[in-house]
Amino acid sequence: MGSETANLNSQESSGKDRQPLLAVRDLVKTFGPVEAVAGVSIDFYPGEVVGIIGDNGAGKSTFLSLLAGFHQPDSGTFMHRGRPVSITTPRTARNRLRIEMIYQRLELAPDLTVWENLFLGEERRVMGVFSDRKSMPARAAEVLKQLKTKIKPGDIVGTLSGGEQQVVAIGRALLFERDVIIMDEPTAAISVQKVDDVIELIRQLKSYGKTVLLVSHRLEDVLAVCDRIVVFFHGKIRTILKNAGLQVSDLIHEMF
Amino acid sequence: MGSNTEVTVEAHVPTLMRRLRRYGRILTGNPGAMRRPIGFLILAVIVASLVSPSFLTVRNGAAVLTSSSFLIVVAVGEAFVVLVGMINLGVESILAAGGMFVAWLFVFHSIPTGWALFLTLLVAIGVGCLAGLLVARAGIPSFIVTLGAYWGFRGIALLFNGGNYISPNAVTPPRPFGFAGIAGSIGGVPVLIIIMVLVVAAGQLVLSFTPLGTWIRATGSNEEAARAVGIRTSFIKVLVFALSGLLAALAGIMITAWQNSIYPLTGEGYSLEAIAGVILGGIPFTGGRGSIVGAALGALVVGVINDVIVLVGLPSLYEYIFVAVILILAGLQTRGGPFVK
Repeated sequence: MGSETANLNSQESSGKDRQPLLAVRDLVKTFGPVEAVAGVSIDFYPGEVVGIIGDNGAGKSTFLSLLAGFHQPDSGTFMHRGRPVSITTPRTARNRLRIEMIYQRLELAPDLTVWENLFLGEERRVMGVFSDRKSMPARAAEVLKQLKTKIKPGDIVGTLSGGEQQVVAIGRALLFERDVIIMDEPTAAISVQKVDDVIELIRQLKSYGKTVLLVSHRLEDVLAVCDRIVVFFHGKIRTILKNAGLQVSDLIHEMF
Repeated sequence: MGSNTEVTVEAHVPTLMRRLRRYGRILTGNPGAMRRPIGFLILAVIVASLVSPSFLTVRNGAAVLTSSSFLIVVAVGEAFVVLVGMINLGVESILAAGGMFVAWLFVFHSIPTGWALFLTLLVAIGVGCLAGLLVARAGIPSFIVTLGAYWGFRGIALLFNGGNYISPNAVTPPRPFGFAGIAGSIGGVPVLIIIMVLVVAAGQLVLSFTPLGTWIRATGSNEEAARAVGIRTSFIKVLVFALSGLLAALAGIMITAWQNSIYPLTGEGYSLEAIAGVILGGIPFTGGRGSIVGAALGALVVGVINDVIVLVGLPSLYEYIFVAVILILAGLQTRGGPFVK
């Protein structure tokens, strides 16, 4: 993570003078008669945390599923580091554009160990066919250390608490050096006391230069960690707020 | 992770049952742990040697392993199917049909040994793939598909020689099985036991030491998660059915060599006994966890029960009753569900 300091410095100017990591223009997605995303344009910069809020059905989830490649837009363009790209599958989003989606219902295999989950589907091998059972747990331990957690690589994921499982899911994004991490309601499934840990985790990701898109109904969490807050309304971006001196009531006012 | 004051009800108010289960888990390990089938096996051996002094002899030990080798090979294939959360009720019929097919090819059609074995295993893989495709692609529950295979292949086994058995003496002059050596021994160790050990070892190797094994467990543990990271879970399902078909046919060839003949009804009850072995071995019906060695030990427990019933001279109907009791006990301890730390 050599670019840590560079990213931290640029945050003062909120990155506006830099090239956006991902630029979205005029994105439209309809489901039958419903225009779920109705012309959305926004730039995302490296090392920023962007809150995405809005009432149910405002288009947040659809917008994110377009970014993660689960749906294809009807029209609109993506620019990745200045180059036009199309996001056709979750695989392209993950491997080519380095966008990782972390779901509300964490997509982990509870019977497998932490390191097996971290590397699932992208296992390192020895002699072509065998799992590299030395380097994967070792690398997993490094990532877990980076996330300042006491989880061990050999722990069975099913034995971990909701917050700890969140760490594992985020660990995947860190392990494969994703640039954009989309978190869908990361604090919804965990106990109140653990929320601060997740917030802290998001701050760490930011300090590693990651772009985090945070969807949350818990507006106090959004205010606690986000640099910018995007308010969705009826499939469009109603406003983009800079998080300076904002109150929960300001957000609620914009949402409805 | 700073505070330890989690307010989840589960962590705070352990009910009596939960506490008992927690203590129980200390003894037995988590679901899927090897301790369990080993415990069952020790228990079975103790009971067996108490009721029949001749049980604990080297000769009988080798006999039990040999006569259990077919069931264990079938159980390894079944274990892979159960690991992905499915079931294969058809293995015993594929075993019988496989044995009948290899004998039919060899005795009636004078197909060379190598070709007869190759064709039999190949057809079995094809049959397994077909079952797997019906489950994974057509979306028919594995119970239904393999129940169909259970009836269908029993019928096919009966067709080969009009319901009669096939032995080398079915033609004149007799044509002894070219693969009869499978029933022999190398350096005093029965080849059947060697094959069985190799199959178990290879199965465990794949499960524990290859990405494929991880994907199989992941598919059983959380299919959605497996798919989300790009694992082709349909392919995994087809693969495990192909494997269980292959191993069932291999067991059929082994049993044909051992009996020096094959009956269309050979292997009756093996499907359920293999499933019992798998469950005894600690693989829950929901899949995801457990081991091949465990499943093999579970199948061996069933083999020990069968053996001791013969030694004591009980009618073989008791085998069903004992297996039933053991299966329910196994099911009780192999329920899916949360781990305990």
